[in-house]
Amino acid sequence: MSLKRPILVTLLAIGWGIAMFFGGWALRGGISSPNGALGRPAPQAPGGPSPSLLDEAWSKVRESYVGQVPSDTLRNYGAVRGAIQTLNDRFSIFIEPQIRAVERDQQRGSFGGVGATLFINDEGQIVLTPIRDAPAEKAGLKANDILLAIDGVPLAQKPELNEVLLRIRGDVGSIVNLTVGRGADRYELRIVRAVIETPSTTWRIVTTTAGAKAGVIAIQSFTARTPDEVKRAINELRRDGAAGLVLDLRDNGGGLLNASIEVASQFIADGVVLLERRREQPDVSFRASGGGLATSGPLIALVNANSASASEIVAGALQDNGRAKLVGTKTYGKGSAQYIYDLSDGSSVHITFAKWYTPKGRSIDGVGLIPDIDAPRAEDEARRGQDSQLTAALALLFP
Amino acid sequence: MNQPSPSRSTQILRGTALALIGVFAGVIIFAMGIAAGITLTRGDFSFRGASAFPPPGTATGSISPTPAAARTAEVDQKLINETLSQLKGNWYGELPGSDALTNGAIRGMVSALGDDFTAYVEPKYARLLEEDTNGTFEGIGATLRSLNGAGIQIVRVFEGFPASKAGVQNGDYIESVNGVKVATLSATEVAALIRGPGGTPVTLRLRRADTPKPFEIIVVRGKIVIPLVTSKMIGTGPDKIGYVSLYDFSANARKQLELGIRELLDQKPKGLILDLRDNPGGLLSQAIEVGDLFLPEGDFIIERDQAGNVKRLRTTNSGIAQAIPLAVLVNGGSASAAEIVAGAIQDYGRGQIIGETTFGKGSVQLPMTLSNGAQLRITIERWFTPKDRAIHGTGIAPDITVVRSSDDSKANRDPQLDAAVNFLQTGAKPSP
Repeated sequence: MSLKRPILVTLLAIGWGIAMFFGGWALRGGISSPNGALGRPAPQAPGGPSPSLLDEAWSKVRESYVGQVPSDTLRNYGAVRGAIQTLNDRFSIFIEPQIRAVERDQQRGSFGGVGATLFINDEGQIVLTPIRDAPAEKAGLKANDILLAIDGVPLAQKPELNEVLLRIRGDVGSIVNLTVGRGADRYELRIVRAVIETPSTTWRIVTTTAGAKAGVIAIQSFTARTPDEVKRAINELRRDGAAGLVLDLRDNGGGLLNASIEVASQFIADGVVLLERRREQPDVSFRASGGGLATSGPLIALVNANSASASEIVAGALQDNGRAKLVGTKTYGKGSAQYIYDLSDGSSVHITFAKWYTPKGRSIDGVGLIPDIDAPRAEDEARRGQDSQLTAALALLFP
Repeated sequence: MNQPSPSRSTQILRGTALALIGVFAGVIIFAMGIAAGITLTRGDFSFRGASAFPPPGTATGSISPTPAAARTAEVDQKLINETLSQLKGNWYGELPGSDALTNGAIRGMVSALGDDFTAYVEPKYARLLEEDTNGTFEGIGATLRSLNGAGIQIVRVFEGFPASKAGVQNGDYIESVNGVKVATLSATEVAALIRGPGGTPVTLRLRRADTPKPFEIIVVRGKIVIPLVTSKMIGTGPDKIGYVSLYDFSANARKQLELGIRELLDQKPKGLILDLRDNPGGLLSQAIEVGDLFLPEGDFIIERDQAGNVKRLRTTNSGIAQAIPLAVLVNGGSASAAEIVAGAIQDYGRGQIIGETTFGKGSVQLPMTLSNGAQLRITIERWFTPKDRAIHGTGIAPDITVVRSSDDSKANRDPQLDAAVNFLQTGAKPSP
């Protein structure tokens, strides 16, 4: 079965810095519209909002509202946004043209950023993690800081990620002030924006106290370059004498679907990587592409609560195919895929079109993956340069 | 002031106002929407031609062709239809029905105004509000505010009543009520969901700033009876100070306040304290009546509408407390009519405003019924103090800022009252 379905996979919402895939946006869409709706004139879609009621409500606003009545454009955006909110799905959203333009910029991959990843936690807060050696880290940002304000302006109660991105990003060399919360404390960080081209993958050799050599491959997000980076990592680590591999997917919020399948294929010789389920359609299975560089040999995957989406696909595939044990903590649980559709005026809608399941049919969405070895990491470990999860993985790798 | 004889539409307005006051003085949960907004419809106060506004309840179905209504289509269907096509083709789940999409779209349009008080009340909640007016529903003793589609926040819980007893705190965010998610609902709708027959439980899922996870609290609804006016004499001898508090600006506000003040004045106190803390507002006409008690004849409030029409409402020279040294207590729960009174007293230099900055709600909402039975509450006017200072959004800053912490409340301490007494007795302001 071919992996190369004729789909356009879009890298969306790559954060400032590199990848902030909120929960991993492995998205498709954009150009080809599956049901050919683009351009079809539709004076009134059946089953949609009642045009006459919308008109009635707005005419009253226009007649009576004390303040400035928003432009027709903003009103229309409001109507679309409000209609999409009835889905009660926080991944299905409306994006205004300006922000959509930012998304497209991000696909080009070069912009002024601060170098951090972000995601929205269960409480609706924006959680930041600095990227190594990038401006945010140098300014003092720590993993799991909560973003409170940008340039002194507090975030909305339920901030929209793209709007936050738009406000943080800017011209290279310009300054952005971030207010972050860390426990009970608040910090003001003054950050000079820089071009950030962080590779998605880093790798290194770790030698255990017993003298065994393990290769650790850490993937921060799944971008178009990730498969090549992982291949290079495997080759270099082998050359340097690695007797086993640790695939570190912690704090990896996701990314491209195809990249995740290619990465899984480096470790799985043959077999299903994931199942995709759409409304009222049979499951589609995606299989390993073959020719993987590390389809045998000791392998452990590290995961944590920030491993989402594409990370969960890879981790679930390794687990279900019996290729690797998972070590760490329960993963995020984002097993849905969004499709981006560009509306006629340049705005766009993100629509959740499918849910993902592991090869054995386990649900990811809202559940997450349970590691084979539960290994929580103490909060102060990073500060002390410790990594008990990696230690646990190595112990399992070289028993 | 003169009360015009009620025309049909003023009666309707009065009906609306009193019904909602029923909601609020009869006493239950005070949605800021309800407490401050709805009750502050014009009520019994008619200063405009009765036909200037479509009376609520009859507003729709018969819009005469105005320039706005004459437009062929108000709302561009193209984007909506494109979106709907995509949803139909791709959305993973069940597509909401047409009514739900209509409600969502109107809600979204109204959010585009960026006004926390213009609110859409979808038909089922509008029906609840209507049932509510028969007086059998009770509340939990709290006021709410909407953050324009970004959530619902509890502004204030009233001590001694169910919400407070169950552990609900000022500033909590409500995530859901009996399992219904409320983030996108208006304060009025959430209030309708929370209210219900006395003795029955309502489950609130709350989020609190210093608590990592949302949590649930079950509150048993009950009757919330708070006396409209309380008064007492603080101290004895020549330095004694009269104290009077006003709970809201319902129909008897002036009458009862005047009674209380007269009794105090008969005892010749050195000064008078008017406590408007946690007073969520009420009728505009009563705001003027209460202002009358303390202020000389003159401008009391300035109203502006969409067209820029300016209306100056004036006090008469009929007050019994125009000269006695005065202090007014306010806090973040003082809203609407309470802010108008405090603002006017401040502008005239008539008394010291003591406490914390007020809520900042200086606008009037007119409820209109849409043809689907929903209610649209549109902000039609904004208020300004006699010196033309905006109330809306900013609130009234006190002359003397004194904070009352939750620890103070728990320990029954009232530094704001203490500061007012001290100021009236000695003229001393606390060092900042």
